[in-house]
Amino acid sequence: MRLIVARCEVSYAGRLSTVLPEAVRLLMLKADGTFMVWADGGGPNVKPLNWMIPPTVVEEETGERGALTRLIVRKQRQQEQLDIAISEVLSDVEHELDTLLTLEKEGVERELQELLADAPQWCGEGFRLVKREWPTDIGPVDLMCKDEQDEWIAVEIKRIATIDAVEQLSRYLERIRLDPALGSCRGVLAAQVIKPQARVLAISRGIECVEVDPQILRGDREPDLRLFAA
Amino acid sequence: MKLSLSSAHLITQLQTAARVASTRSAVQALSGIMISAPADSKPELLATDMEIGLRVPLDAEVARPGAAVLPARLLLDVARSLSAEQLTMELRAAEQDVELICGPTTFHLRTLRAEDFPTLPLPSPEARVTLPTEAFVQTVARVARSASRDETRPVLTGILMSAAGQELRMVATDSYRLSVKETALESSLQGSLEANVPARALQELVRIAQQAPGESLAVSVGQNQVIFELGDIVLSSRLIDGQFPNYRQLLPESVEHELRLSSAEVTDVVRRISLLAQKNAPLRLSFTEGTLTISAQTPDVGEASEAIPVPFHGEPFEIGFNPEFLRDGLESVDSDELVLKLISPLRPGLIESPDTGDFVYLIMPIRLNV
Repeated sequence: MRLIVARCEVSYAGRLSTVLPEAVRLLMLKADGTFMVWADGGGPNVKPLNWMIPPTVVEEETGERGALTRLIVRKQRQQEQLDIAISEVLSDVEHELDTLLTLEKEGVERELQELLADAPQWCGEGFRLVKREWPTDIGPVDLMCKDEQDEWIAVEIKRIATIDAVEQLSRYLERIRLDPALGSCRGVLAAQVIKPQARVLAISRGIECVEVDPQILRGDREPDLRLFAA
Repeated sequence: MKLSLSSAHLITQLQTAARVASTRSAVQALSGIMISAPADSKPELLATDMEIGLRVPLDAEVARPGAAVLPARLLLDVARSLSAEQLTMELRAAEQDVELICGPTTFHLRTLRAEDFPTLPLPSPEARVTLPTEAFVQTVARVARSASRDETRPVLTGILMSAAGQELRMVATDSYRLSVKETALESSLQGSLEANVPARALQELVRIAQQAPGESLAVSVGQNQVIFELGDIVLSSRLIDGQFPNYRQLLPESVEHELRLSSAEVTDVVRRISLLAQKNAPLRLSFTEGTLTISAQTPDVGEASEAIPVPFHGEPFEIGFNPEFLRDGLESVDSDELVLKLISPLRPGLIESPDTGDFVYLIMPIRLNV
């Protein structure tokens, strides 16, 4: 990631023509070819002043003393370009960033998976864990369990279960059931919240839906008292 | 199809039928009402959402037999807006609409696909059990509130209805509370029945029965559907699959405390104090020698409490309930007094009709954080 803080004027030519008058700005050049021009403002509008998505070609021009004087960022195979006329470079640094890490919400899913692996009975009465991350040839299913009758159940865990989650579990089940020993494997979609459409689709495909409360799983809160297990 | 009838009668019958028409089905015809005027039987209005089906008779003069499906909501709005007493409706097949003429007003309403409208079941006379309508309506009213609205456990969204000999019994539960009402009938029934019927269907039937008092009620239970005949109105419903919980084993055999209370007094106090039991806050019932204090507290909103004299003896006792569920139970007791039975703060409480014991409301408590 290259970060240039420079006094510059930015001209765009392409679908329309725009000019950003000369001012101090942050020019961000990502390793994947993304180019962005940032101002130190904008409030809630978290958006660059100008940008170009990859694939891009970047050309640099330097002055007599080797100082950067111009950047031209062109979109490959398209008539679009950003022309940045630089009068002063205040900072020009390059850092190697870590590879993309998943968002925190995936952390919640991971925690849910750990909690449910420790207490699979919340996914269904009498469930016991056989393996976490059960491999299939299209990716691992979160939990593989067996019930009291020794039947297999594949459990897919989500923070918020949408139709995509049902599709994902359906694909896993299709692959799992190719093995004759797992031909009768059932599916359970366990999530903190299950969207109504996802529930309808899941039920129509014979997939059970279970909403789980992480606070109860963690032991932070006691479950509601009921007359019978529902 | 061509028929003529009174505007007022059409509105009355449409108001009954339109409630059943689906509001969110992918099949457009289900959002409609079928006006059916067969050559060999009386004309009627038909509506269904695939779970409940309704046939409502229409007093109309049929000039030409046939059938048409019109959007339920629009047809009701049109009927309500009419200014003259009589109207005619004629299906114009070529234009795919129904021409409705009422006095100086003419409407052309586009029809929905009649082919997509399902055939509604007809009752079979051999499996029919006749029940007293009033007893049926009152029994449903006492238990319906305990039925679950959560479609993830369909078996709990129904009311377990059984009738045999001189008794009609209904049971409903959402796993947090359970209502059981046994109604003694004046005469013995010819036949018996047992079925788990969607609470929504029974509530719809109660609504219709209240508009047509005095009509007899015949029930026929099939393999997967039940049909109710209330006079000329026929309501059919699918039955709910699955095993209804064994409610008898939930009813405690012995209790620690048994209190006879004034129904009106305790219900009024619970209603008042519940105003301050918001955001899932419990209603707290604290029993001390001779006194019951009902209190509630909602953070950032406020607190409320009220004490009433009760015949309580023994060690102080405190139990929490969901205010809405407790109120439902108290309001379902149809007598001046009620019996409140308690075992411990974490075991279910019982609300019963005194003496007869024909109504039982079992309610699970909420844990109190001191």
